[in-house]
Amino acid sequence: MPEYLELTADKFTFRVATDRLYTADGVWVLPEPEGKRVRVGLADYLQQHNGDVAFANVKPVGTDLGAGGQFAEIETIKAMVDLHAPVSGTVAEANAALNMSPEMINQDPYEKGWLAVMEPSAWETERSKLLGPAAYFAVMQKQVQEDLKGL
Amino acid sequence: MERKVGIVSCSGEELAEGTVARLAALKVLNELRPRDTVTICLPLFLAGGAGDRAFAKLHPTITVDGCDWRCAAHGTEKYSNKPAASLVVKELVGECGLARPEGRRRLNAAGQKAVEVTAERLAALVDQALGKEGGTRAGDGAGSHEGNGEQREVTCSCGSGVPVTKVAIDGQTVEFVALPLIFRQFREKGGRQDGEGARELFETVKIYNAVPAEAEGSYRQAVLREYAAFREKEKQA
Amino acid sequence: MNASEKSFVVVPCSGIGKPFGTVSREAAYDLCEELRPESTRLVALAKLVLGEPGARTLVAKHPAVTIDGCKQMCAAKMVRQSGGTVAREVAVLEVFRRHKDLKPEGIAELNEAGRKLARVLAGEVAEGLDATDLPAKGASHV
Repeated sequence: MPEYLELTADKFTFRVATDRLYTADGVWVLPEPEGKRVRVGLADYLQQHNGDVAFANVKPVGTDLGAGGQFAEIETIKAMVDLHAPVSGTVAEANAALNMSPEMINQDPYEKGWLAVMEPSAWETERSKLLGPAAYFAVMQKQVQEDLKGL
Repeated sequence: MERKVGIVSCSGEELAEGTVARLAALKVLNELRPRDTVTICLPLFLAGGAGDRAFAKLHPTITVDGCDWRCAAHGTEKYSNKPAASLVVKELVGECGLARPEGRRRLNAAGQKAVEVTAERLAALVDQALGKEGGTRAGDGAGSHEGNGEQREVTCSCGSGVPVTKVAIDGQTVEFVALPLIFRQFREKGGRQDGEGARELFETVKIYNAVPAEAEGSYRQAVLREYAAFREKEKQA
Repeated sequence: MNASEKSFVVVPCSGIGKPFGTVSREAAYDLCEELRPESTRLVALAKLVLGEPGARTLVAKHPAVTIDGCKQMCAAKMVRQSGGTVAREVAVLEVFRRHKDLKPEGIAELNEAGRKLARVLAGEVAEGLDATDLPAKGASHV
């Protein structure tokens, strides 16, 4: 189980797992132990911000993507949300459990709610563009403050 | 941390007054005081929603109930804290001489009127809880400056403040919210200052305060120093 | 046992934070006031949890249909914790997944799609209740 940085705003607590990297959009990237594949999913703030997930559609296994290409979309009761690949590569696995239980993304965003596994094609060069947990925490903090100002 | 008021409404399906309570709460949350209020979902609160209960422990809450059962008021007091204020629609309707609301699903005209009156009263209570009576925040001006001490108390009408403590860490001044409250609860639970106890205390502080990963060690030491000072002060009192 | 001899309590979550909470409430009204008024009775969750004797007696005596607006499943959880038997446990989100054209909006007042979703949910539950043999314990999902 990862450890977390936490931010509480009003009654909401947003967690950032400290064992992985992030895009500024709130997609997390966790390299698998063997180092050849990465698992990706939604950060806690992103899943809370978008609301209960009704459907999650990941691109089929074998799809080649450039960094920033759409690798999944989720439909919540609030919105349709396109999710962008954190790195270039090929979709190697999609989390089949989300077909029946998309709420896993909300209930356990860092573990059971993972979305896909990718085989990155340029990991060594692209990983440096990702954010560490503390840097993503700062981005998230700003987003939360903007949300509160927008009320 | 900006102060806000939690609004807890009964679910009220069984009575028209319950529907009035719900709609009045929503009117205040979404239209009249959206920046000053936070929704507390009563079913989630009763079922153990940690965020809702923690919020209600540290912030003033105002409950609005349809009837004398006062489910929202009793639930809030049981699982968190006594509400800063409570409204009961049946009482308010009587007090204001309004016609009795009817229609638990679709309110009649009397019910709609009751929603307006309840929402206005609720909004006024929110202002009171935040010291904003008469359109100005009480304490604006001389009373709101930082003062000499490290601790600044942010008070509300119920007298239960959310303290903000300034702590020097690595040459910077860092503000922590709710430290005395957290320390008191930790001490009451018999928490120890060493080993597992210290870890548990710091984890609790982290729930309410952002701690940068790279400075976690310094923050932990500072919190433990503050706790030691808190205990010392209690002994001397 | 025919439908008129059966009796169920209906416990919606009535959550105030999301449209689905209002759908749970509307569906409970549809079921108890229009579709199956002879065999269902609405019980407020908070009254049950806080120990109102009438609510406790009803839930002790009759199996419950719980309708929850989100996957926290507060109504199902709290009915069980209060000693009740859940005969049907409904998650509004699951019904929405089967009727995704009926996207509910509004909390104070549901849009037309939300009202239709509530009606569909209530109809599915009503049919399910007609076919139900009252269980001693346990629950099944709609």
